[in-house]
Amino acid sequence: MSEIYDIGYRHYDGPRLGGGHATRALAVHSLRAIFGLGRTARSKIMPFALATIMLVPAVVSIAAMALIQQRAMTYSGYAVIMQAIVAIFLASQAPTVVAPDLRFRVLPLYLSRPITVTSYVAAKVAAMTAALFLLLAVPLVLMYAGELLIDLDGPPQTKEFLGALSMSLVLAVLLATFGLALASLTPRRGLGVASVIAVYLLSTASVPIIYSALEMSGYHSAASWAWLMNPFWLVDAVQVWLFDTPSHAEGAYPGGPLPAVIVVALIGVAVAVLAARYRKAASR
Amino acid sequence: MNTVVAGITYRALLGRRRIVLLLLLPLALIGLAVLLRIVGSADQRTAVLLMEKFAIGTMLPLLGLIAGTGVIAPEIDDGTVIHLLSKPISRPAITRTKFLVAASLLALFAAVPTYVAAWLLVGNEDGLAPGFALGALVGGIAYAAVFLLLGVVTRHAVTIGIIYALVWESVVGGFVPGAQKFSIQYWAQTVADQISDSPFLTTQVTFGFAAPALVVVTVGAVLWAGHRLRGFSLTGDE
Repeated sequence: MSEIYDIGYRHYDGPRLGGGHATRALAVHSLRAIFGLGRTARSKIMPFALATIMLVPAVVSIAAMALIQQRAMTYSGYAVIMQAIVAIFLASQAPTVVAPDLRFRVLPLYLSRPITVTSYVAAKVAAMTAALFLLLAVPLVLMYAGELLIDLDGPPQTKEFLGALSMSLVLAVLLATFGLALASLTPRRGLGVASVIAVYLLSTASVPIIYSALEMSGYHSAASWAWLMNPFWLVDAVQVWLFDTPSHAEGAYPGGPLPAVIVVALIGVAVAVLAARYRKAASR
Repeated sequence: MNTVVAGITYRALLGRRRIVLLLLLPLALIGLAVLLRIVGSADQRTAVLLMEKFAIGTMLPLLGLIAGTGVIAPEIDDGTVIHLLSKPISRPAITRTKFLVAASLLALFAAVPTYVAAWLLVGNEDGLAPGFALGALVGGIAYAAVFLLLGVVTRHAVTIGIIYALVWESVVGGFVPGAQKFSIQYWAQTVADQISDSPFLTTQVTFGFAAPALVVVTVGAVLWAGHRLRGFSLTGDE
């Protein structure tokens, strides 16, 4: 007969915070990891450099408003114009969220705590979404604060600002789910970075070529659909539909609610890929 | 040149998921060329646009990045490179072998599809297809060398390589003409312009600058990578 002896260690009798708290802690930890907080100085360089570059147009715009009373940048076009920086941020940081846990096979350790696969994935997606939203929203808020302080002629563009802010959240969810789904397919960080940026570049570089070819050949309605292949223009199309902002592509988007439907469908596909991937990873 | 090292590297690159990425990009290029043909805009202007913006401007740096860093960075990343470095093979020979592997893959996955895509659009008019194929070949070889060096020097090779290709070559090169002089993809276009006499293809960098620059960058990067690997110290993951 074997017996587990009580060798006199003190028992934990504090409050048990449960699964929700564990999920929240994991999300906060992942968010800090995305920006390199609590890690070496070398891993802080990339996210903070990219976040600083994101702020540059906002600062220039505030300076232009103060000195020559003109807007250098619109709220609604910010994400589309700065899309390369956002994409590099997503590509370089999404693998840091998912790759190490897969590579060192520590998922079963997480799952031995009160965390389920669903809440693990939800925490990772929430962290990446929050990071991208911060990246997109901080320049907008800064620009709006500058506009209020400078007090230009005419009313402040509050509606456009709030619209752009809410679209930033939609864009952040779309990019985070998609980026994490792509990055989680490989346990190697370098390959994860390369695959996310390859998919983004494929959509960006081919869109203007397809658009101009279709436009020149007279397929005008088909040409407008080409813009929806890129996530930034896709969300811009939703913004045009919801908030009547001008289009930030070279041509018009197809109107109506269809871009919004595509966004929801894409997020659904990405979440399904993530769920399938992690069900498999958890069982190993 | 060491055939065993070359064989291992080929297997590592082609046997894993990396091959999906290596195939995806050239297939997209050929798919675009087919699409352009179907909608009936297969003229020289479109062909040059597709080649400059997509083949040389997007596909080539990405493939160079995947192949160039892929031959050495994963091994350094997970520490298995120590088995290779502890063998009695000269380390410059290791880098030379790995560079040749990456260059051969770029010839297969970048230069050949570039030729096929350009040929699909305009046939052999004005030497556009062979011109861009040669441009993609020499540009791809230079990219392979540079990104191999990056893979040896830093753990963030892929991210830094993307920033070089996207921010420096595409954005800065698009607005600042001076930056085009120090950009591999503009050198590749100059080489393409040498072969092709299409009126739609204009380049800003002279051939007298681009050709020596390509040679110097390629040879210099391979030699330096070999030198770095000689004094290589394996440090832990961050």
